[in-house]
Amino acid sequence: MAELLNSLHGDVVMGLGQAAVAIVLCFAVVFLCRWFAVHVERETALSLARGLVQMVAVGIVLALLLHGSLLIGALILLGMTFAAAVTASRRAPDIQGALILSFYAIGAGAGVVLAVMLVTRAVTPTIAVLVPVGSMIIANAMNACAQSMERFRSDVTAHVGQIEAGLALGAEPAVAVAPFVQSAVYASLLPRLDMLKSLGLVWIPGVMAGMLVSGASPVYAGIFQFIIVAMILAASGIAGLVTTVLMRARAFSSAAQLTLRPGIKN
Amino acid sequence: MIGDERNMSEAPPTELATETPHQAEGSIVPVPALAAEHLSRGVVGKILVDNISVQVQRGEVLAVVGPSGSGKSSFLRLLNRLDEPTGGTVRLNGQDYRELAPQELRRRVGMVMQAAYLFPGTVAGNVAFGPRQCGVKLSAEQIATLLQRVGLSGYPDHDVSHLSGGEAQRVSLARTLANAPETLLLDEPTSALDESSARGIEDLVLGIIRERRMTCVIVTHNIAQARRVADRTMILEAGKLVAVGPTHEVLGDG
Repeated sequence: MAELLNSLHGDVVMGLGQAAVAIVLCFAVVFLCRWFAVHVERETALSLARGLVQMVAVGIVLALLLHGSLLIGALILLGMTFAAAVTASRRAPDIQGALILSFYAIGAGAGVVLAVMLVTRAVTPTIAVLVPVGSMIIANAMNACAQSMERFRSDVTAHVGQIEAGLALGAEPAVAVAPFVQSAVYASLLPRLDMLKSLGLVWIPGVMAGMLVSGASPVYAGIFQFIIVAMILAASGIAGLVTTVLMRARAFSSAAQLTLRPGIKN
Repeated sequence: MIGDERNMSEAPPTELATETPHQAEGSIVPVPALAAEHLSRGVVGKILVDNISVQVQRGEVLAVVGPSGSGKSSFLRLLNRLDEPTGGTVRLNGQDYRELAPQELRRRVGMVMQAAYLFPGTVAGNVAFGPRQCGVKLSAEQIATLLQRVGLSGYPDHDVSHLSGGEAQRVSLARTLANAPETLLLDEPTSALDESSARGIEDLVLGIIRERRMTCVIVTHNIAQARRVADRTMILEAGKLVAVGPTHEVLGDG
């Protein structure tokens, strides 16, 4: 609590001053847009105010929670996983059970990776590390889940004839949709693979930037950032695979009939 | 159709399946190769197929005709269980098809669709697909023989993306025949083709059916085609069977 109060008195005042500069810059861009008859004044003002309030609130909550136990950290991550599942499931409103499917997939991806990294001590088992690192992994697992769900659904509904031709020849459902499982998993991994390839060349990600700002060794900051991105890739791969396999199971009836069709709630 | 033909003026015109061979007026009535029994399918408040009972004997060709939206294709899709009946069932040689694994059922009851829906790759890859699903690897000679039968000698290594509509439909037919089905379901197999290709496919299919003594159910909107190929014809309207019998009786001689 003392730390929180100190922050409020010192860093926060400075931070709010810096935020004001960023807000002025945003409004300069808004006025530039207005020049081209693009009116985003109200939306931008609301978004900036909302963003600032949300981030200050998160900062206050984290300042309180980051001194808690690992159990509190695990509960926070569980809540984040549920919120991520809600967001991902909105991409597939016509899939019954999309929320629970997303929860399993994101939970499996983030859970397995975090557990392995914590057990092997590749990540320090403290709440101050677990929550921010976990949130990044959950957010990326969420994107992988949503991307694979969307890709699988669109591929299957666009290839109903080909899939049913396979079924009509005696193929198992898994064989009939195999090309679309592959493309869905690949689609969920591609952005993360690109991220890994461009790491350090095109961008310096947030974790490394934050560590550098706080005075950590640049080499260690780079290695730690690599660890985070590799964890993100692994979690995304697991989330994409679990999503697609669960989607595949929901795409067929017990009598191997394709039930995932355009315009039909599955 | 061997067995009793109902007067088309009777309503509703149904034929109930015979489960086992039995004596009828001194002659043996064989078990139908395919028998739909009170077959129905409805989806969200709409009845697509309404209580249809019909039998098809081995070697017989049954045409299914009717206006657009009358349930012809819906009926056909129930016969190999691509869709699930909401009422009734289908018997294959007397056996309820729900007792069979769907994969085995669909190998025994092959289907050629309106569009070929070939898998990306070569013609040979498509022909070998069905047998591969049950662990059988077709030899190059077996593939060549099948392709020769459908008039595509020398095509095994052709990429399917370079085939004409007629050629693609021939590959689709060869691919289905590779499973050696007892019954062939044809869902308007020539409707997307020009007249010349359509007649070529029609003659080819008819020749193969006669030669292998296959049972066949063909959906067509082309009355002339039904007259040319079908021993018997059934007419559907709004999902209901309104007439069934020998083609010349149901459709007239044209």
